[in-house]
Amino acid sequence: MVDVYVPETLEEAVSFLGLHAGAAIPIAGGTDALIDIRTGRSMPEWLVDLSSVPRLGDVELDGEVLRLGALVRIRAVELDPELGRRATAIVEAARVLGSVQVRTMATVGGNLCHATPSAEMPPSLLVHDAVAEIAGVGGRRSIPLAELFAGPGRTTLGPDELLTSLLARAPASSAGSCYLRQTVRWSMDLAGVGVSASVEVDGTVVTDARVALAAVAPVPLLVEAASEAIVGTNLPPEAAREAGRRAAAACSPISDARGTAGYRREVVSVLVPRALRIAWLRATGAWTQGVPAPVNGMSTGEDL
Amino acid sequence: MRIELRVNGDMYRREVEPDLTLLSFLRDVLGLTGTKWGCLTGDCGACTVLLDGEPVVACLQLACQVQDREVTTIEGLGTEEGLDEVQAAFVSNGAAQCGFCTPGMIMSVEALLGSNPSPSEAQVRESLSGNLCRCTGYNKIVDAVLQAAQDRQMANDGS
Repeated sequence: MVDVYVPETLEEAVSFLGLHAGAAIPIAGGTDALIDIRTGRSMPEWLVDLSSVPRLGDVELDGEVLRLGALVRIRAVELDPELGRRATAIVEAARVLGSVQVRTMATVGGNLCHATPSAEMPPSLLVHDAVAEIAGVGGRRSIPLAELFAGPGRTTLGPDELLTSLLARAPASSAGSCYLRQTVRWSMDLAGVGVSASVEVDGTVVTDARVALAAVAPVPLLVEAASEAIVGTNLPPEAAREAGRRAAAACSPISDARGTAGYRREVVSVLVPRALRIAWLRATGAWTQGVPAPVNGMSTGEDL
Repeated sequence: MRIELRVNGDMYRREVEPDLTLLSFLRDVLGLTGTKWGCLTGDCGACTVLLDGEPVVACLQLACQVQDREVTTIEGLGTEEGLDEVQAAFVSNGAAQCGFCTPGMIMSVEALLGSNPSPSEAQVRESLSGNLCRCTGYNKIVDAVLQAAQDRQMANDGS
């Protein structure tokens, strides 16, 4: 039987995790942790319930910097109008995760630390330049979010370490972002392919861009070669398609129930130009269809 | 572990195993079997209850994490005299067939109407996307929700 420990402070949480290394796992929303226990994928002796640790559930916007506590609920992200404007991709990813019930329970940190290759939140946070803030027995450290992921279901966190918050860039103007995904069903499904893009502009010219992918490699991928294809342009279709080709070349999908490797690669080459286009339209103020974008970018009323 | 929580308005203090789910607490400890035991993976929504007004799946919620909070189950709706608007609309629209998904469906609808009293059809479908029905089909359920929203607004306007 699993026992539950409820620390009152971050220090208590990490020292307990360190003391019971390998036998204790943190629990936040529980939507992954309890399923893993029931299916035998994880067999902890202790659950460390983080819900009483202060400040882990805070959302703060300070200038261009968005701080999302690891225990912020996915539903809270989804319903935050200011994040919808300034961190659109993150909100769009939150909107399609699981169901209303799952989003009400699940947390941003849990979605990241479960490290499912198809998880919704990583690509959107990657294109917003997220930095992961980590606490452990030995102190605190910060790493680019991409360095949190070690493989399917594995992170680079030490046994005593906890993700405490994400620092993301959320510019108020001349920037836009987008998250699209391909799924078999509209809801309660995992991404067959997840694509996120962000674009910053000076007028209509792209000054900076990011492209990130999910479900097409063992870990979420930030594809620099793809974004480089559009910087300095005003995103003509050929540049966007080139970004899509580069993203497709950079990924290493597997074939499974959600699609073959070849199909996934093809979908990447289609969704990357669409996501870039929507992000660019948002950055230039020309996007009129609000949040969210149509789930897979189709039916946007123009040729993407 | 000792927990203290409110269920359908009543305070309960109980000693529970630390890994007991809210679903087992409601069904086996309190005997409130209206909340259904479905997939146990958070996919089917049959165990949906409200936690401080927000919908959660009770199968993935540890009872010990519900300390000092307010739970509403299907048994907490309506009165001795009659059904509430959502329950009544499910009946009059033929939105229940075998009935297994119905309590979870209705709790999701209560959450929706609590935050959005006049939802669009698309919003209804989205808010029910975590509740699976394997017999009625969803159209009559959606009809029932739209009618319940109207009925409740009329009732509120009249009072």
